[in-house]
Amino acid sequence: MRGRILALGVLAATVTMTAGVYAQSKKEAPLELKADASARPWKRYNGWPARDESKFSTLGKVVSLPTPKTPRKLDGPITGDAEKGAKLVADRNRGGSCLACHVMGQAGNADLPGNVGPDLSEIGNAGREDEWLFNYIYDARVYNPETVMPPWGGHGLFNDEEIKDMVAFLKTLKKPAVFKTALDNPEKRPAPVEKRENLDPMENPGMWAVEKAQDLWKANGPAGKSCQNCHTNAATAFKTWAASMPKWEPRLNKVVGVEEFVTRHAKATTGADWLMETDENRAMSVYLHFLANGNPVRVDTTSAPAKAAIERGKELANRKVGELNFACTDCHGKAANHWIRGQWLGEPKGQYDHFPTWRTSLQAIWDIRQRFQWCQVNIRADELPPDAKEYGDLELYLASTNAGQKLSVPGIRH
Amino acid sequence: MAEKPRIKLPKEAKKGEVIQIKTLISHIMESGQRKDKDGKTIPRKIINKFTCEFNGKPVFSADIAPAVAANPYVQFNARVEQSGTFKFTWTDDDGTVTTAEEQITVA
Repeated sequence: MRGRILALGVLAATVTMTAGVYAQSKKEAPLELKADASARPWKRYNGWPARDESKFSTLGKVVSLPTPKTPRKLDGPITGDAEKGAKLVADRNRGGSCLACHVMGQAGNADLPGNVGPDLSEIGNAGREDEWLFNYIYDARVYNPETVMPPWGGHGLFNDEEIKDMVAFLKTLKKPAVFKTALDNPEKRPAPVEKRENLDPMENPGMWAVEKAQDLWKANGPAGKSCQNCHTNAATAFKTWAASMPKWEPRLNKVVGVEEFVTRHAKATTGADWLMETDENRAMSVYLHFLANGNPVRVDTTSAPAKAAIERGKELANRKVGELNFACTDCHGKAANHWIRGQWLGEPKGQYDHFPTWRTSLQAIWDIRQRFQWCQVNIRADELPPDAKEYGDLELYLASTNAGQKLSVPGIRH
Repeated sequence: MAEKPRIKLPKEAKKGEVIQIKTLISHIMESGQRKDKDGKTIPRKIINKFTCEFNGKPVFSADIAPAVAANPYVQFNARVEQSGTFKFTWTDDDGTVTTAEEQITVA
């Protein structure tokens, strides 16, 4: 009797397994596997700074000059212009300059200093030598390999004369900073809290994409079919799907997120050209995430290719890129929960569940890949196309650190 | 206009009740004071007038000026004495008039 039950159990398991495998292979969604999923050659968005940063590393390639081994020798004491230096340390056109991370007395009479680095308001009393101060600005890595400070001289953001002016200014700093307003003190500035109702279409214009996508869902593509033909009840079919994305896609040999999936699946089925970072693609991504709202982020982190991709993503998050020589983990790890000038640096957790998100300051929807691209351009690195495999690895890594966070899309942010 | 206007008001109200009406329309609200990359003024294009009528009678109207931000949001209160239809209009600088209607039942 017992043997029979066992046998039945084994039989049942076999049947379930077979059905599972069958269902999976049957369900494998058609994807366009040849064409790129975003515009080529990739052209930077209108209104974004047009800088050529090809001399510096990106998430795609390591090309920045290696860290110098020794400090530079100076001929004699520094005679710089402290007044010029005071303006330079607060110059917003030089990658944010010193004030982005340091309080520096009344530097340049500027507002909202950051607090990633130490308060330098009394550095003039520290008895540091000119050469040490010069080299610390020129390339601080010669003294501290772990520093997050950009190599201002080594990467050519400031020339020797300018650095000498800044050293002259530093030597004048001998009194604790007096702040013009309470908000100017980064230690007392309250962290931003987003209180707007992101799912209320009266508050969040990002919600309008949900309606737009529902129209797109029903519209026939060039192949004479619409999404509706196969996915009659979108709300049921996609109740959790977006929360499981991005995922490793063996047919493409890379990690694919919702946006790239939409591009490739639409092309292969309805024939629609919904390249990444087009309005249609963004609307569909908002909608598909919206349908999975409330579900915890739950990406595959256990299969061998997913593990390998997460490992690569973690490495990328630690790679120093761009003229400012930042890694993702510099700002969102070591310096997280600090101010960089007037901007708050968040932790990775909580930086994923609300994408795509409405940007009030830009009147636009940004998906996570565009957010990656902006991070890069902002730290003076060249961005990659949104469907780059490196972004796939990075997105999966980010999603894995956000496991359990509940989706709430479209988000709303400044 | 690409997006339809958004209206929020209760479907039902008691006679004499003061209800809250929220309206929002998608619009760039270009102030006419900005310059493009070549230093040329970007021409003004704003919603310059908003009105609300109830059963054909004016309830609320506003002249809107260039300093109002994109996607103008207007919220106001109205007392309802009978069932009927609110009609909203937005007038663009280029003459385009966008309208929307909402019903309310007064018990």
